[in-house]
Formats: sequence, C-alpha cells, structure tokens
Amino acid sequence: MTAYDLYLVSPLLALAGLAMMVIIVDLLTRRTGLLVGVAFVGLAAPAALSAWQLAELVSTGESRLSAQGSVVLHTLSIDRFSLFFNFLILAAAGLVILVSTDYSRRMERLQGEFFGLLLLSATGMMLLVSATELITMYIALELTTLPLAAMAAFLPNGRSSEAGMKFLIIGALSSALMLYGMALIYGFTGSTRLDEIAAALSAGASAGAFPFGSMAVLLAIVLLLAGFGFKMSAAPFQMWVPDVYEGAPTPMVAFLSVASKAAAFALVLRVFYVGFDALGGDWWVLLAGLAALSMTIGNLVAIAQRNIKRLFGYSTIAHAGYILVGVAAVASVDGTATFGPSSVLFYLAAYTAANLTAFFAIVCIGNRINSDEIADYSGMLRRAPFLAIALGLALIALIGVPPTGLFFAKIYVFAAAINTGESLMTWLVIIGVVNSAVSAYYYLRIIKVMFLQTPIHTERVGASWPVNVALGIATLAILWLGVAPTPLLGAAERAVSVLSGG
Amino acid sequence: MSLEAMLVVAAVLFCIGLYGALARRNFIAVLMSIELMFNGVNLTLVAMGRWLAPYTVQEQLSAVLTGQVFAVFVITVAAAEIALGLGIVFALYRTNESVDLTDAATLRH
Amino acid sequence: MWFEQIVFWALAAVAIGGALGVVLVRDLFRAALLLATVFVAVGGFYVMMNAEFLAVVQILIYVGAIAVLFIFGIMLTRDVQRGNAPNRLQIPAGVISALLLAAMVFTAVTTDWTTLAGAGRENQAQIAQTQAVGIPDATELTRAGLSAEEVESVAGSGLADLLIGDFVLPFEAVSLLLLAAAIGGLALARGRGR
Repeated sequence: MTAYDLYLVSPLLALAGLAMMVIIVDLLTRRTGLLVGVAFVGLAAPAALSAWQLAELVSTGESRLSAQGSVVLHTLSIDRFSLFFNFLILAAAGLVILVSTDYSRRMERLQGEFFGLLLLSATGMMLLVSATELITMYIALELTTLPLAAMAAFLPNGRSSEAGMKFLIIGALSSALMLYGMALIYGFTGSTRLDEIAAALSAGASAGAFPFGSMAVLLAIVLLLAGFGFKMSAAPFQMWVPDVYEGAPTPMVAFLSVASKAAAFALVLRVFYVGFDALGGDWWVLLAGLAALSMTIGNLVAIAQRNIKRLFGYSTIAHAGYILVGVAAVASVDGTATFGPSSVLFYLAAYTAANLTAFFAIVCIGNRINSDEIADYSGMLRRAPFLAIALGLALIALIGVPPTGLFFAKIYVFAAAINTGESLMTWLVIIGVVNSAVSAYYYLRIIKVMFLQTPIHTERVGASWPVNVALGIATLAILWLGVAPTPLLGAAERAVSVLSGG
Repeated sequence: MSLEAMLVVAAVLFCIGLYGALARRNFIAVLMSIELMFNGVNLTLVAMGRWLAPYTVQEQLSAVLTGQVFAVFVITVAAAEIALGLGIVFALYRTNESVDLTDAATLRH
Repeated sequence: MWFEQIVFWALAAVAIGGALGVVLVRDLFRAALLLATVFVAVGGFYVMMNAEFLAVVQILIYVGAIAVLFIFGIMLTRDVQRGNAPNRLQIPAGVISALLLAAMVFTAVTTDWTTLAGAGRENQAQIAQTQAVGIPDATELTRAGLSAEEVESVAGSGLADLLIGDFVLPFEAVSLLLLAAAIGGLALARGRGR
C-alpha cells in the first residue's frame, strides 16, 4: 500500500469518513438542520478529490490513473468513466440529503442513521463504478444494497418494514444468482480480474458449439444478467420494485431510483464491454430482450396505478428498458463501440435530473398532504404552484418531449440502436417509440389532475428552503440538459472511450 | 471425488435453496434458504480453485487461492445480511405480529 | 481412493438431505438445526479440498454465529406454530429450480474446464503433468519446472497475504459493509420511539 494508493481511493475514504462523522454528530445533537448541513457540506470533500483526479487525467492526457507497484489498481480503475459516475452519484446524494430535511422528522430518532447509511451506500456505488474485479464488484454491490435495505425499513409502520424485508431478500437472492455466475467465470478463466478474463476468453473464444463458445460462459452470462437485472430494476426481475417504492421512505426511493440504477448500469457496461468484449458481443441479443420486456411491462402496468410512488416504480422499470436499448447497441456500422455506451451515460444523467425533480416534488407534497394517491393531487397547481410546475416539467421530461434533457437522451439511445445496422435493433426502437407514446398517457394524466381539476382542500402546500433549493437545482438541470446537451454528451463520449481500451 | 461431482453437489444445494427462497412463506425460512444458496456458491468457488487454478499458474501465482478468498468474502457478507435481516424481522414483528411474506403482501393492490 | 469416495458421498448425502429438510420441514426450529448440519457437512467438503482455513471459518461463522442467530430469530418471533408453510408459488418455484439445476449439472459435466483456463499459458502443460490437484505443494511445483523463486511465491501466498495484498480494497470495503449492517440492524431492532 503506497501513498499513491491512498490518493486513488481518497474520494471513497472521504465519503466513508463523512458517513461516520454524520453518525457521531447525530450522537451529540438532535438538530436536523445541523445534520443536513454537515452531510451536505461534507460532500464537497469527495467531490473535490474526484475533481483533483479528473484534473490529473486531463493534464496528463492518460485514459486512467496508473502507478508502478500500486496494490489497489488490481481491483479498481480510476478513469473518466468512474469519475463521470462519481460526480453523478455525489450530486444525487447531495440533493437527496437536502430534500430529506423535512421528511427525515418522520423517522423520529433514526435521522443520523438515515444520513449515515445514505452516505455509506453512496460509497458502495462509487466503489462499484470503478471496480474492475469480480470480488470488489460483489462487495461494492452489497455495500450499495444493504444500507438501502435498512433505510427502506426506517419508517415506523408495517409497510416500510415490509419494503425493507422484500428489498433485502430480493437483493440477497439476486446476489446469490450473480455469485454463481461469477464462480463459473472464475472457474472457466482462472481469474476474477476483468482484463484477465477478457484475455482468457479471447484466447479460446471461438471454440465450442454453444453461444459464447461454452455452456459455462452462456450460463454465467445468463446468471450475471439475472443478478444485474434486479439491481437495474429491469423486467423480468422487477417484482420487488413497486412494493419497495410504495413502502419505503420517499427520499431513499429517490436515491435508489437514480443513483443505484446508474451504478448498476455502470457495472453492466464495464463487465460486458471490458470483460466479455472478446465474445464478439453476441450478448446484446439477451440485453435487447430484457429491454423490450422492461419497456413493455413497465409502461403497460403503470397505466392502471393509482398511487404515485407505485406508478413511478413501474415508470423506472420502463426507463431501465430504454437505457438497456443503449447498452445493447454494442456494435455500430463504422466499428466504433462508443455510441451506445455514451448514450447510456447521457440518458442516466438526464434521467437523474428528471426523476429527482419528480420525486422531490412528491416528497414535499406527500409530506404535507400525507397521501401518495394521485387523486389527492387534484388542483395542486393552485395549492403549490412551484411544486406543481416542477413536477409537471419532470413528467414532460419523462415522456421525452423537448426542451428537456431526456428528449435528447431518447434520441441518442435510439440513434445508437439504429446505427448498429441490425434489423432486430430497429424493431427494438419501434417498440421503444410506441412505449414512449403509451407512457405519455399516464404521465399526462397526473398533469391533468394537478392542473385542471379543482382542489379538495384550499390549504397551501409549501416546503422549507433547502428543499426548494434542491428542487430548483434539479429542475434547472432538466432544462439545461435540454437546451445545451453538448458539454455533457462530450463528457460521456470521453468517459466511455476507456471501455474500448482507449 | 472429482471436480464434476463436487460441482453437481454444489449445484444441488444451490437449487434446493432457490426453491426454498421462492416457495417458503416465513421470512426466516427464506433467509435460511438463501444461506443454502450461498453455501452452494462457496463450494463451487473452492472446488474451482482447487482443480482449475493450478492450470492458470503463471505470472500471477496467487490465482490459486482466489476462490478461497472469494468464499471468505461471501461468508462475511452473508453474516452481515443475516444481522440486518434479523433487525428487519424484529421491526416487522413489532408492527405486524407476524413474519410471514404472505401477510406482508398488504402492499399489493 | 475408495475411502475418500465414501467420505465424499456420505457428506454429500448429509448436505443434500439436510438441505431438503431445511426447505421442507414444517417446524422452523428443526429446519434451523438441519441448516447447521448442512453447514458442518460443507465444512467437511472444505477439509477434503485442502481448504482447512475456510473449514474453520465455516464452523465458526456459519455454525457458531449464523445458525445461532437464526435460532434466536425463530424463538424471539414465536412464529414456530405456523412454521415453515409453503406459499402458492410451489409449482413454478419447483420448475424454475429444476430447470436451473439441469442447466448447472449439464454445464458442470460437459464443460472442458481446462481449455480456456490454461490457453496460451506457458506452464500449463508442465503443471498438468504433475497431476497437481488441489493447492500444489512445493515438490509438485518444482517438478513442474517452476523456479525456486516462483515456488516460494506460491507456497508463501497464504490467504492472509492475498487479503491484505491484492484484495485489500474489498477487504477494507467489507468493514464498511459490516458497519452499515450493524448500524442498520441496531437502529431497526432498537425501535424508533422514546
């Protein structure tokens, strides 16, 4: 362990240290405002360290940080890809912490633990996006999932406990499936490092009659996809999503729906584009199947939902499907494999902005009217103009209408799919477009309830200033990505160049 | 005793656990079934290390023991999962007086 | 080695029989005891595969801690009467498990596990000649043509060296995981009020 190793993992150390500091502060004081302040301001440290690492990458022009004799580089890679996700995760964590100011009072005495576990989970995500070795990935995944499972059960009611229980069981079950896949890969290639796995697979990739050259690799990929599918909340591994979304504390659901999903997709991109690159990319057919299934199931079931958190549970399944279209767009006609992954990164960023805005509005409204039923949102425009307009904008963004970031994101993802030149991918795009049209129905229904119906109560709904600040930032991010997508798209393209060995 | 025999035994353990995890109602029974799956995975990992890793010995000679290292991590994570799982069990039992997954299905519409 | 065969199949019978008991027996308390039996049998497999350290860990953590935690949980929730009843998903669950088992057994039996693992590696043939099963010992490696330096690095690479060497990062991360589980478990078990 050298000093350079410590520098490589310093953002992780800072974040984990912040988590412990928050828990200690909670022991000393009971003031929520102070806790939120420490947690939010403290995020500047990992962000600054990540920015420092990015600055070094930019100044040296290298694709990843490297050093002689470094131990941790056996298990992780600090590159533009991982740093892109670091910033995304830290931004999501910061905004969610601000928004929890009002809501966390519902957790009574568990506020310090709530913020501490949120930060520990974010640490797991940051480790996950930089991991290049199977054991590290597994530990990082568990470090992401376990704190979230505990947080899901934090509200003092039965539904919340049930949500935590379901999340824990499904998480453990999917981990077990994924682990068996990892064991097969280790047995077949003799290594748990992605680069060595890729080397071993390419040495004998063409042998054998099965897809991917061997039954062992085929089974391993299927099991890995099953495990990752749970984390990405993609169908047919989505049964837990609506129940957890409905029962768990809303700020935790907001964090789960964007950061956990982004980390899971980063993992999938790294494992498949680096580790299984040598297999010729046949696995995209499996991913395309998952994509079609997720989009269709998510959108069709969402139509019938009356609870807004449950509806967003199905909506997130549908969006996992759209993102998977980009992941499946592995080969393009001109031979570059960066279009698909970079569209995924852009989509994840735009989705983070839109979904966070929507959930933040739901947190504020639900906190005041004590209900998550869509019917109770009637006339919200008159009771809380700012919240209603922000939620309306987020819903429009989720449909994929300009001038919002997700409009460009959908275009990029579908363009990447068509660019592969595969007829199957063209069909996938058609399914995606039809699904977007279907999704407009249930998103617009909420807008109609909020904007056109008369309110049941006339009592105003408001929120404290940190919540409004977070909501404002997330709303501006939607619009900014819709008006000027180029800088972020450039960053995404540079980030994914690492995957193809650039 | 051969690699294939060990892998088959591990696979049987894993699939019995999977059946239990999907078909049981009691939360603690489901957690126990998942432990069976983890044990199946661990047996697979150690068996892979024992029979296969010698073939890969080259520049990274430590690959021999990677399977066992992996198994140690799986055991540790399993212990953490159970600790948290029991915390949730008690929270659930306090509110619902039951740890049945079917009773817990009040969430469904 | 007929003796080894007998021990192996005896352990397999105990493990599989116990596992079936865990998922089928209605009395949860007995299921937990059977689970402990399975853990011991799996520990026996570890000993047979030269993984003695793992066998000790298996007994200490699985039998000593996890099985006991389960028994605590079962007794404290007093849900023993209703027990280990199945839900409505028995048939689909059985079908899924059986299909996966078939795929796994097929994979285990048909895959030539040595093709890719050794592809293009220099020492493969030499080590294969020694018939080195298990963690190779020094004489086997020397016979396989490794230099004294390499032999030393294999013989000296214990689990501990790996845990705080190549795998130091997951090793440290797992401490965060245990911390998170402890915080979460305590917070939930302690209760929210007062």
